Amino acid sequence: MENVRVLVVDDEKDFVDLFVNRFNKRNVQASGAGSGPDALKFLQEQPVDVVVLDLKMPGMDGIEVLKEIKKRHPLVEVIMLTGHGSVEAGLQGMGHGAYDFIMKPFNIEDLLVRIHKARERKVLNEGRQG
Amino acid sequence: MEPLLRSVRGRRLLPLGPALLVLAAALVGRDLTGLPALILALAAAAGVFWAVSWVAEQAARSRLEECRLEEELLQSQKMAAIGQLSSGIAHEINTPLAVIGQEAELGLMELDLPDLKAQAGLDAARDNLRQIALQVERCREITHKLLSLSRKMEAIVQDTDVNALTEDMVLLVEKEARLKDIELRRNYAESLPPVATDPALLRQVILNLLNNANQAVERQGHVVISTDMPARDRVRISVEDSGPGISPENMAKLFTPFFTTKPPGQGTGLGLSMCMTIMQRLGGAIQAASPPGRGARFEILLPLRPNGRGD
Repeated sequence: MENVRVLVVDDEKDFVDLFVNRFNKRNVQASGAGSGPDALKFLQEQPVDVVVLDLKMPGMDGIEVLKEIKKRHPLVEVIMLTGHGSVEAGLQGMGHGAYDFIMKPFNIEDLLVRIHKARERKVLNEGRQG
Repeated sequence: MEPLLRSVRGRRLLPLGPALLVLAAALVGRDLTGLPALILALAAAAGVFWAVSWVAEQAARSRLEECRLEEELLQSQKMAAIGQLSSGIAHEINTPLAVIGQEAELGLMELDLPDLKAQAGLDAARDNLRQIALQVERCREITHKLLSLSRKMEAIVQDTDVNALTEDMVLLVEKEARLKDIELRRNYAESLPPVATDPALLRQVILNLLNNANQAVERQGHVVISTDMPARDRVRISVEDSGPGISPENMAKLFTPFFTTKPPGQGTGLGLSMCMTIMQRLGGAIQAASPPGRGARFEILLPLRPNGRGD
C-alpha cells in the first residue's frame, strides 16, 4: 500500500516537529503547518490524504480551517485534535464533516490506526466518485 | 416442551390443543358421568376460552402493527416534506446571507481606510458591523444544518468497532459530565462483531444523544450507555439518563426539526431530527422512550450489514 500523506496542523511547533519525525519513520509521509492559512496553502500545492488538525489555534481557529478544507478539498479527511471536554467543538466539527477526533494527550499507535481508517474512507469515496 | 413451544411450528400447532380438547369432550363426554365429566367440561371450557383469547390477541396485534406502520410511514413522509421545505428555505436564504456578510466585511475595510481611520466616533459603527458579521455566521450554521437534513449524501461504509466508537464519544463528554456531577455508566456488550456502517455519521448521532442526556440531567445524576445485540443481525446502542424524562405531548414532536425544550440559544432543535435522518441513511432506526417517573431513554439500532449489500 502506498504511503499515507498526512498534514499536521498545530500552532505548537515542537509538537508538529515531533509528530512529523515520528510519523515519517512509519510509512507515513508527514508534513507540518503552523496555522490554518499555512495549511490551506499547503493543500493547494500538494496532495494530502488526511489532515490532523488542532482545534485551538490563535487567529483562524480549527473549525474555520475545517470548513475551508471541506469546501476546497471535500475528499480530504480531517481528524480533529481536541482537549478534553470540548463537546460543543466536537459537535460542530462532526457536523462540518470531520471524520474523527482524538484527545490530547494521545497514543501515537491509536492515532495511526485512525489515520489509516480515514485514508481508507478517502479511497472508498474516490472510488465512488471516479 | 419448551423448545417446541418456542419454535414457529410449535406455535402454529398450539391452537390445535384446545380444538382437540373440545373434540375429545364431545366424543367421550357422553360416556362419562360425575367428577370426570365435570373435569372434562371445565377443561373444554378453558380450551375454548384460551382459543378465543388467542384469536383476539392475534387480531389486536396485527391491528397494532398496522397502526404502527401507518404512523411510521406518516412520520417519514412528514420528515421528508419538512426536510425539503427547510432545505429550500436554507438555500434561498444563503445567498442574501452571503451578501450581507460580504457587505459587512467591506464596510469594516472601508472604515479602516486612511482618511476614515483617524476620524473619531466610528468605533461604534465598527462594532455594529462586527456584530452583523457574527450574526450572519450564526445564521449560516443554521442553514448548514438545515441543508444537511435533506442532503442525499450516501453513507461511506467501513468496518466499525461500535464499542470503541461509543467509548470515544463518552470520553469526549466525560469531563463536562464530571463538572456537573453526572456519572457516566458504561454497560458495553462483550465481543460485538464489527458493524459495516459509516463511522463519521454514527459518531454524530452518539455525540448528540450523549450531549442531550447530559443537558437533560443538568446536575447530579447519571447517564447509562449500553451496547448489545437484540437480534443476530442488529446492534443496539442506548443512552438512558436520570433527567426529568419527556412528556407524552413532547414525545410526538421529538424528531421534528426546530422542536426544542432547551433554553433559547442552547439548541436549534435540529439535533434529533438530524440523528433521525442519519439513522435512516444508515439503514437503522432511532427510538425514544420515557417511562413515567424515570428519565429518557434513546436507542439506536444498526444493522450489522447495510441493506442490500449482503456480506
